[in-house]
Amino acid sequence: MNETDANTGDPVESSNTRVFLFVFLMLCVLTGLSFWVANSYLMENKVVGWAAMMLVSVAKALLVILFFMHLWWERAWKYVLTIPALFMGVLLVLLLVPDVGYRYMTYSKERRENAPEPAVSEPVVGKSAVPTLD
Amino acid sequence: MNSKVNPSEVTGTTEGGGDEGSHGHIKLKYQPAVPVPKGKLAVWLFLSTEIMFFTALIGTYIVLRFGAPEGSWPTPADVRVLEWLGAVNTFVLICSSVTIVFGMEAAKQDMPVKAKKWLLGTFVLGCVFLGIKAYEYNSKFEHGIHPGAPRSLLYDRADLNYLSAVKSNLDAEILSIEKEKTALVSESVAAHDHGGGLEDLILIRAGLVQWTQKTVGETESPMMRELALESLAHQINPRGPNPRVDAYLANEIADVRNRIAELMGQQETIDEDVREMQSRVSALSEELEAEQDDAKRSEIESSLAAATEASRKAATKATEVVDLLKPLTDRVNAFEQFNGIHDGLNEHFHLKLPMVIPSGNTWANTYFLMTGFHALHVLGGLVAFIVLLMFRLDRSRAGLMENVGLYWHFVDIVWIFLFPLLYLF
Repeated sequence: MNETDANTGDPVESSNTRVFLFVFLMLCVLTGLSFWVANSYLMENKVVGWAAMMLVSVAKALLVILFFMHLWWERAWKYVLTIPALFMGVLLVLLLVPDVGYRYMTYSKERRENAPEPAVSEPVVGKSAVPTLD
Repeated sequence: MNSKVNPSEVTGTTEGGGDEGSHGHIKLKYQPAVPVPKGKLAVWLFLSTEIMFFTALIGTYIVLRFGAPEGSWPTPADVRVLEWLGAVNTFVLICSSVTIVFGMEAAKQDMPVKAKKWLLGTFVLGCVFLGIKAYEYNSKFEHGIHPGAPRSLLYDRADLNYLSAVKSNLDAEILSIEKEKTALVSESVAAHDHGGGLEDLILIRAGLVQWTQKTVGETESPMMRELALESLAHQINPRGPNPRVDAYLANEIADVRNRIAELMGQQETIDEDVREMQSRVSALSEELEAEQDDAKRSEIESSLAAATEASRKAATKATEVVDLLKPLTDRVNAFEQFNGIHDGLNEHFHLKLPMVIPSGNTWANTYFLMTGFHALHVLGGLVAFIVLLMFRLDRSRAGLMENVGLYWHFVDIVWIFLFPLLYLF
């Protein structure tokens, strides 16, 4: 970005301020965006809505990391720390995907019977359970 | 190390800048492996472990949340989560990230007073975040949503276990109110304002809980048993409209009313019987008094004994019918009194009866675990701010401020992911 001499502390910071304010504005807009997604037609297909909200979150996190945490301006050492951490984080989440899928797809009879079931189906009309008196 | 420019680099790497060897010896230059101050490197290393810590927590939540079958995870309304409050907290944290960035910039420009003001602003925003969090926690505790036993009132499904929990909870509540009442009478203290009057609670016990217990005990159909329990749970804490339960209740009440009408009819004939028997007994005893002939007397005596026996039987039958009618009328009364309550008995009477929220406990565990650890990190940041505020925040402290700022931004990033996951999904 613009040239600032941090070591001498020359006050060439005004454009940085502008960057920070712009990032702040973007963060607010993105927060609003994820709130909008949660209440919009995108949630009709939940996976789409969830993916959209996660994308927004990743964008927000990137903005914070790159500008508020100065990684945008840092030298190549930033990759030494961020890439392994990112790799581990993404790997951990990816490793969970089969778990989620396994839990979801192979829902055993025992688990279904003992699961907290929403069980919202057709209204039952018929003989009531009122005990008989004789 | 003069190639690129970094606005955050304040202290620089002093180790590298020795003067060149002018006396002819070889002077070794110390070249740090990573060209940043040690403190900053330490913070970044710490943060990269923190990334994995929170990834693990969030990953656990993801498996539990997305591995749960459709519909068996609490909705925000179920667990008293207000989406807009989460959004406000997100905004607060974003603001605090900006203020600490400006604080660092001010320190870098050697403006300690300005820097302190920005830092103080960050501190206040952090406190606001924790305040809102505390309010949210409290509103969950008030509704019996705790991370697990022994305080949690959440049950995964409406079964017999749930029914007995409701029963014992209600009994304890009624007992405590009765005790309180006797204490009040003896001490004549001003009446304690309680949401549910004793009469209401007793009607809930008779017309809902004991009724359900009876129904469950006597019905043969497992489906009806399930419906009876489900309707009890629905009346205590409804999770949105439930047409199944509505249909069941309408059906049941119509049935109960029919049975009451039937019993009333029976009662009339029984009462008539009782009256007839009584008049026969009194007629016979009069006759017995008037009669002189011994043979006839013994005849009258035996028929009197038979009449007395019949009268006694009729009276027993009458009380039997009254006993049968009692739970039925209780049920109808309870239905008429409580069916209009759309927010549930718990909410309406400020009761703390067990509630059925599928995966509610799992939700509570993950929610409190993640937000709790995040809140602890916020608290840690606030402590760091207090320590920083005690120094003069001039250029020499800009590096320190940057390190604290890095940590604080990380806390913000964690919340950026927690907010949609916990509030919007």
